[in-house]
Amino acid sequence: MKKLNELTLKEAITGLKTRTFTSTDLVSACFDQIELHNESINAYLTLTKESALKQASEADRMISEKGEKAFDEKPLLGVPYACKDNFNVEGVEMTAASNILKGYISPYESTVTSKIKKAGAILLGKTNMDAFAHGSSGETSDFGPTKNPWNLDKVPGGSSSGSAAAVASDMCVFAIGSETAGSIRGPAAWTGIVGLKPTYGRVSRYGVVAMASSTDSPGPLTKTVEDAAIVLEIIAGKDALDATSSPLDIEQYSAYAKVNDLKGLRIGKPASYFSLDLEPGVRDHAEKSLDVLKSLGAEIIEMDLLDPKYSIAVYTILQRSEVSSNLARFDGIRYGHDRDAFGTEARKRMMLGAYALSAGYYDAYYSKAQKVRTLIVDDFNEAFKEVDLIFGPTMPCVALDLGESERSSMFGEMMDVLAEPSSIAGLPGISINSGFSNKMPVGVQLIGPQFSEGQIIKAASALFNKFSLGERKSVL
Amino acid sequence: MFDIIAMNMSSLTLTKEQVNKIARLTKLPLSDEQAVTLSYLLSDTLRTIDTLKELDTTNVEETYQVNGLTNVYQKDEENRQTLPKEKALQNAGEVVKGLFATKAVFDR
Repeated sequence: MKKLNELTLKEAITGLKTRTFTSTDLVSACFDQIELHNESINAYLTLTKESALKQASEADRMISEKGEKAFDEKPLLGVPYACKDNFNVEGVEMTAASNILKGYISPYESTVTSKIKKAGAILLGKTNMDAFAHGSSGETSDFGPTKNPWNLDKVPGGSSSGSAAAVASDMCVFAIGSETAGSIRGPAAWTGIVGLKPTYGRVSRYGVVAMASSTDSPGPLTKTVEDAAIVLEIIAGKDALDATSSPLDIEQYSAYAKVNDLKGLRIGKPASYFSLDLEPGVRDHAEKSLDVLKSLGAEIIEMDLLDPKYSIAVYTILQRSEVSSNLARFDGIRYGHDRDAFGTEARKRMMLGAYALSAGYYDAYYSKAQKVRTLIVDDFNEAFKEVDLIFGPTMPCVALDLGESERSSMFGEMMDVLAEPSSIAGLPGISINSGFSNKMPVGVQLIGPQFSEGQIIKAASALFNKFSLGERKSVL
Repeated sequence: MFDIIAMNMSSLTLTKEQVNKIARLTKLPLSDEQAVTLSYLLSDTLRTIDTLKELDTTNVEETYQVNGLTNVYQKDEENRQTLPKEKALQNAGEVVKGLFATKAVFDR
């Protein structure tokens, strides 16, 4: 039998509803696991144990008073979760894993955590990440790298490294991360879990430390696709506090996770994604996944997209530029420490951004990149006339050894090559585990047009159910 | 920090002097050694993004916003959320008489 901390979100909600166990049992089981493994994995930076246990007993009281009805208003009542340390949670320290914010206590609440709180879920703690979300390995954290639960000598991927590792090692039921280009999907792939990056504007950015404001997208990291859909239903929607959030209606995403027939769905296989230098095990699993999608009724269509190398260049320029502007506000006066507390990665990015935005270079870099972004958006729009969704591996290889990211100044961009085009175009994408290569998890992803979260959830869930055959393996 | 020996020394597009200038503009004080390292690293990045020159973007408009929203307005009463003074000040480096204290910016 599964331990309580190993439960999926769906199972946890069912167990709490039927009063098979209490929220206090569930929250305590997560803290027991944290106690056992957080020191070696370094997934959590801050724990909120006292308030979590208090909220758990409050949830238990509500459930015993109102029974199942308590879940009508609070669908996540009593469920413990972990949150990346770049979301403001009022009264809790938030560092974005950078020394410059060490000791900063959030004076307000992000929209995402506020919605989750309102839904009744309980915060266990804030998770480690690449400092300011600048990185794809988790190693740029000023508070030590997060380790991959499948092999402690490997990185978990980043920047949502701690959230992914916490889910993979059952130190929480689900987690929240954020993605600018690969920061949810990448670590999800490398730790063998599900990561959903919503359409830009589907989930409010309010209260999240700004990285690249034109692509930042908060999203869930979960144990199943259905869990990701359940969380998305809670966190999505228009927010008066984020002008870029979309007014489009949200859907009942979890309903899409119950469909196992993909008949009539056209899934594109882009030649430029498969012609990359992919690790053989990754290529194998991607090809096998396509066979499974076909067996589920989907039509696989050979097609092509712009070479993703252009997306690397566009992303590099836009991200650096937006970072230089967003991190200019850190003055050590209103909050945070002096600017010399910035780490190397943040310095590098701010400086390149300032250069790309400066007079004389603006047209050659920033403006050029924004024009190529248009080409990338058009390229996807054309592609979606022929196919409903696009399929590819999530990462070109499985998780690398700790320390390897330092060998290239463009490590992150190279690793995120398969996530960058869709991020630049603001498209939703979901990564799921498709098996193992060299004993490490391999992720595959489905990308769809803007606001097609339902469709990518449908295809990913059908594929996921076929792969996992109902049971998720525990790592530790 | 990084393996700079592997980089092409002859194609430095950003000199140490330029790096120092950017560092001043971004208020990021650098040591001499850091400036040299960064000139290699940033030059390396600039080489990678040079690939964009291969694409013709004549008559192509820029995309600044991807999900189609334009001119988002709201009535004042829709968003009255603001921080009370004590919360706004709680993370300040130095507070004097209920205000943020900064170094003098004139006469420098």
